[in-house]
Amino acid sequence: MFLYYIALPFIAALLLSLFSRPHSKTFHPGWLVAIIPFVLFILFLTHSSGISEGQPLASLTNWIPSMGIQLSFYLDGLSLLFTLLITGIGFLVVLYSIFYLSKKENLINFYIYLLLFMGSMLGLVMSDNLFVLYTFWEFTSISSFLLIGFWSHRARSVYGALKSMMITVFGGLSMLGGFLLLWIATDTTSIREIISQKEELMASPLFTAILLLVLVGAFTKSAQFPFHTWLPDAMEAPTPVSAYLHSATMVKAGIYLVARLSLLFTGSDLFFLCVSGFGLVTLCWGSFMAVRQTDLKGILAFSTISQLGMIMAMLGFGSEAAIFAAVFHIFNHATFKGCLFMVAGIVDHETGTRDIRKLGGLMTFMPITATLAFFGTFSMAGFPLPIFNGFLSKEMFFDASLQTAAPSGLAKQAAPLFPYLAVLGSIFTFVYSMHLFFGTFRGKVQLDRLEKKPHEAPFGMLIPPFLLVCFIVVIGVLPNLINERLLAPAAGSIAGNPIHIHVAFWHGIKLPLIMSLIVVAAGALLSLFKRYWESIYLYLPGKLSADKAYQALLNSLLRGAKKTTSSYMTGSLSLYLAIIVLFLVCVTAGMMAATGGFAFSMADLSPVKWAEAITGFAMLLAAVATIFMKRRIAAVIVIGVVGYGLALLFVLFRAPDLALTQLIIETVTVVLFLLCFSHLPVMKPNSKPLRSKVADVLISLAAGTLITLVAISSHSSKWFQPISDYFVKTSYSLGGGKNIVNVILVDFRGLDTMFEITVLGLAALGIYGMIKIRLRKKGGMEQ
Amino acid sequence: MEILMCILGGALFAAGIYLLLQRQLLRIILGTALVSHGAHLLILTMGKLNRGAPPVLNEGIQHYTDPLPQALILTSIVISFGVTSFLLVLAYRAYQKNNTDMMDQLRGTEDE
Amino acid sequence: MSNLVILPILIPLFFGTMFIFFHNKLATVRLLSFFVLLINTATAVFIVYEVFSKGALILETGGWKAPYGIILIADKLSSLLILTTNIIALAACWYAGATLDEEREKHYFYTLFLILIAGVSGAFLTGDLFNLFVFFEVLLMASYGLIVLGATKIQLRESIKYVLLNLFSSMLFVTTVAFLYSVTGTVNMAQLAERVGDVQQKGVLTAIAILLFVVFGTKGALFPLYFWLPKSYTAPPPVISALFGALLTKVGIYSILRVFSLIFIYKLETTHTFFVILAGFTLVFGVIGALSTHNVKLIIAYNIIPAIGFMILGIGTFSSESLAGTIYYLVHDMIIKAALFFLAGILVYIAGTSDLRQMGGYIQKYPLVGWMFFLSALVLAGIPPFSGFIGKLLLLKGAFAEKHYMIAAIGLGCSLLILLSIIRIFIMAFWGEQKEVKRIKLKPGMVIPPLALLCFSIFLGIGAEWIYPHIQSIADGLANPSEYINEVLKAR
Repeated sequence: MFLYYIALPFIAALLLSLFSRPHSKTFHPGWLVAIIPFVLFILFLTHSSGISEGQPLASLTNWIPSMGIQLSFYLDGLSLLFTLLITGIGFLVVLYSIFYLSKKENLINFYIYLLLFMGSMLGLVMSDNLFVLYTFWEFTSISSFLLIGFWSHRARSVYGALKSMMITVFGGLSMLGGFLLLWIATDTTSIREIISQKEELMASPLFTAILLLVLVGAFTKSAQFPFHTWLPDAMEAPTPVSAYLHSATMVKAGIYLVARLSLLFTGSDLFFLCVSGFGLVTLCWGSFMAVRQTDLKGILAFSTISQLGMIMAMLGFGSEAAIFAAVFHIFNHATFKGCLFMVAGIVDHETGTRDIRKLGGLMTFMPITATLAFFGTFSMAGFPLPIFNGFLSKEMFFDASLQTAAPSGLAKQAAPLFPYLAVLGSIFTFVYSMHLFFGTFRGKVQLDRLEKKPHEAPFGMLIPPFLLVCFIVVIGVLPNLINERLLAPAAGSIAGNPIHIHVAFWHGIKLPLIMSLIVVAAGALLSLFKRYWESIYLYLPGKLSADKAYQALLNSLLRGAKKTTSSYMTGSLSLYLAIIVLFLVCVTAGMMAATGGFAFSMADLSPVKWAEAITGFAMLLAAVATIFMKRRIAAVIVIGVVGYGLALLFVLFRAPDLALTQLIIETVTVVLFLLCFSHLPVMKPNSKPLRSKVADVLISLAAGTLITLVAISSHSSKWFQPISDYFVKTSYSLGGGKNIVNVILVDFRGLDTMFEITVLGLAALGIYGMIKIRLRKKGGMEQ
Repeated sequence: MEILMCILGGALFAAGIYLLLQRQLLRIILGTALVSHGAHLLILTMGKLNRGAPPVLNEGIQHYTDPLPQALILTSIVISFGVTSFLLVLAYRAYQKNNTDMMDQLRGTEDE
Repeated sequence: MSNLVILPILIPLFFGTMFIFFHNKLATVRLLSFFVLLINTATAVFIVYEVFSKGALILETGGWKAPYGIILIADKLSSLLILTTNIIALAACWYAGATLDEEREKHYFYTLFLILIAGVSGAFLTGDLFNLFVFFEVLLMASYGLIVLGATKIQLRESIKYVLLNLFSSMLFVTTVAFLYSVTGTVNMAQLAERVGDVQQKGVLTAIAILLFVVFGTKGALFPLYFWLPKSYTAPPPVISALFGALLTKVGIYSILRVFSLIFIYKLETTHTFFVILAGFTLVFGVIGALSTHNVKLIIAYNIIPAIGFMILGIGTFSSESLAGTIYYLVHDMIIKAALFFLAGILVYIAGTSDLRQMGGYIQKYPLVGWMFFLSALVLAGIPPFSGFIGKLLLLKGAFAEKHYMIAAIGLGCSLLILLSIIRIFIMAFWGEQKEVKRIKLKPGMVIPPLALLCFSIFLGIGAEWIYPHIQSIADGLANPSEYINEVLKAR
């Protein structure tokens, strides 16, 4: 059943690609596309009542059952929350994009990518199978790559697309490593079954590796420090994409993964420290960096990073309250951040710039947009009024940071630090939120620096952010509206047991409220006196930004690759050959030594005869002499001596056929040598420097020695009767010939001979082609 | 005798490899000839030397030298011959086109 | 006893020879070649069907029973590779007709091509080590003819290196066969396996095994034996590069797989552990090479090497899972490499240069080529659900399960860099500012072959359930060599 849900966007994308008329003048394809998330949203909504009563749904289709890879989908509270966000925000974003993207753009491609993403994301949050989850995980990275690079002629888009792909696929591969270890440790690929084996897994020596590998995957996807650097560059994507992928959905895939597997990992010190620690650091660093940004979307990107860090931290805290707060904030963040991205898009659309230094005073021109932005920013800042949902979850975050579920030891010692970091991060959150709102909508108007005269956005563009603002306010006023139906089941499926927490605005004057007030007070002060402390950004991050680290890494990789490769890929035959021979010698000698391969036996040798020895010696001399020959003709003569010597040896060693063949072939070869060498330049003295001459001598001597040693060892290890006795016996009776060698050639091993002739024929053909061919100037694909 | 022949085979390989490592095409080609001679000699040696009559059946002879290595060498000799003649023409053509027979001038650049 | 086995060798050999006599009638030769390969593919399909339903097919050539005569044996592994080879050959044949210049075609391209296929098939089928040498020579000689076909400056220069290195390793090959014969008294692979097993691969046998490994490793492009490969493979026209990249190195890998799963399996902790280490180096250096250049053809050629690393990793790990991974990866890589070389050929043709820095923005005019590049990058990097993923998953699982953690991590890291190296082609050539480009009409013969191969490789991933169980049964067969030995030697 769920397979069809997930397949729907993919099928739609496929259909869309068939109608690839890039510029439809009259009809905006977004209207058709919007139907899909809307329908899916309704479908998922119908399942919510059953799930809130604790009845998760599952469906299973075979894919590669023999490898344990099944299309097994599972819809529980956590998945439901995500599917509703994906389809709900998806619907709004498509609606928004209809007004945002003009019909001149390549809309078909845009919606294909978007639908691919939507389907992958749905698959990701519903998969129960590790590798199906991984498949969809990589697909979200890929569709994100395509969406960021949508304006593919812009260098910044391409840079951002590649960067996001490299970092998220890196994380994906790390996660794949973790999944493989999980598979090996538990012998199952079903996440539910793996979680049921928690006890065994915690005791496994692989546990730490699994945890770290999976967390790297989650951290890269959810832009946690220090992998966050791809997200700001991903802002090159069209704004609807940023609103959808890079704030509400894809970046939450890492959060989803940690939430999904937190049942497996809770109780581990390392999990607590990593997730809370990195989460809080990301929260602080992201919000600190957001203040510095000048691009509206840049502010929002770092803000997203910081908010994701906050959610991650809450998942790390691990207490019931923290998990509930995390779920609540996932929802809230999607509403206010989605809204703010759309607002940023509107501002960009209507003024032609997103540079906050050029903006200001837009309140008078765009009152509706400004109102929407007001709700978004103040909710994000966690301003303590009961109309902002962001305040509610932020206060729960403070509360959770005070009472973590630290397992033991080191984690317990680190935990008291957390509230301070939480407050610190939130102060900067407050600062950039105010900066964002007041810098854009209040203050001095600078009409001369804007590309267009600003005016209110078209109605259609305002509807999606308006709907999101409705959520902000309604949830702010009536926070328990979605509690039982959505939040409690989601939190329950993370924690593994039902969680019921009543959300309230007023708890009395307690520590969390005081923390909130500190945030507001300190934040307001810092905002007012921003210009006095801004210079701190010159020193921090300075040169330490993750972006620079990424660039340096990539550049040094490419430069290093070039340097390394050109150091050995010199195109020099003698180098390649020397390496091959050296490798051969070292490895074979090493293996011989390791396995006791050398053998020497004088037992079964034929006596040394003078004629043979003298011939051999002459050949040896001639072979060495070839090296020193200075004239072509002399070289051919000495090489002839070796060849004819070999023929003589064949005679002496009772191989008459061989001797004959060798004689004939040698004669022809010598003639060929003469013919060819007369066309080649005269012999030049060996021009190599002395050092490489010595190296050559050593290498060739080593190779010769090695071959001799292996030959002697082989000859000394005749452990079996050779099969040739059979040939001697049957040559006449079965083969019908008395010359055994001939019978072997033409009968026993006739196939060899047939292909030996083929080789000769091919050689002739090759030679003929080489000599005859004259390529015409323009033919085929060659120039 | 076999030991001596193993040494000779190794020596032919060594001389051949030394020539193969040279820069001038001519010397390299000579090297290939030496290497294949060495290989053929070693094959023969591996079948034991001088054990009985040449492998042509004759009344009354019980022991023959191992015929199989001889057959293998024959095949190999013919194949080497084919390859060598191809190589010679190739060397000639390469020299003609590239105007050099020095391998260190036949390296090529990256971007072609 | 089945004559069927020799058909995949004989059909192309016979027709290849025939074409010598009317090599100038190009239209006929093109059409006939395609037709011949079609028949050959059908034969291969039939052989695969027979082998998988009834067991290995054996032909004792000349009626001489093993181990005395030469036997050809189509077991599951060889028949699968024969089929893959023929599928690639079909695509290459079509692509050649559309892309080669007529002079090259007339100078016996189709003869050399068909006999190359015959040689490759022979190498896959033979059960005799010396006969393997002979088939190696056949395919090498054909490849010499092909690499130099056209006799351009670059081709001649690179051919010299290619021929010399292969000549050296061939001579080493026969010498090693002789050593092996001296020790075991046989050249039949099944009997070799039996006899090596009888003495538990003692004494000099491991050294001989390693010599053989170096020989095959030189053909199969292992670190540090591959340095000759990238430039040689990019010198000839793209269709020939594709044939080389898809088939030749794979014959080397097949030989290693066969010899080190059948014969030399008694000193695993020495030999196969060494393979695993070598696999790591091969992966790293190969992928570094692919990142080092802006030459499209070279990037593809370098990418042959990490793939070889993955396969050697599987052979070294030597569990039934990792062997299955190796075979899956082998088939996948043959297909995707051919497709990539075809695509690179088209790209260079469009751009008029192989330098990426001079390309840009082609997606506007050539969207199909661009998206094929994009997809093949995903396939090659092993992104699910495409074919590369299945093989890689099995290989990595095998490596992790056998506690080769380091090497598995390298494998994962290299996947990322492989993706980077190919996606760089996509980004630099198809994205970015639009550079000047010739308006060239692409013929169907240029586009359909890579597209078909790409579809096939996607099918290998998505339809893995139809294929994986068979591959696993091949791997189980390899892990249990006594079956092969008995099959071959039963008549003795």
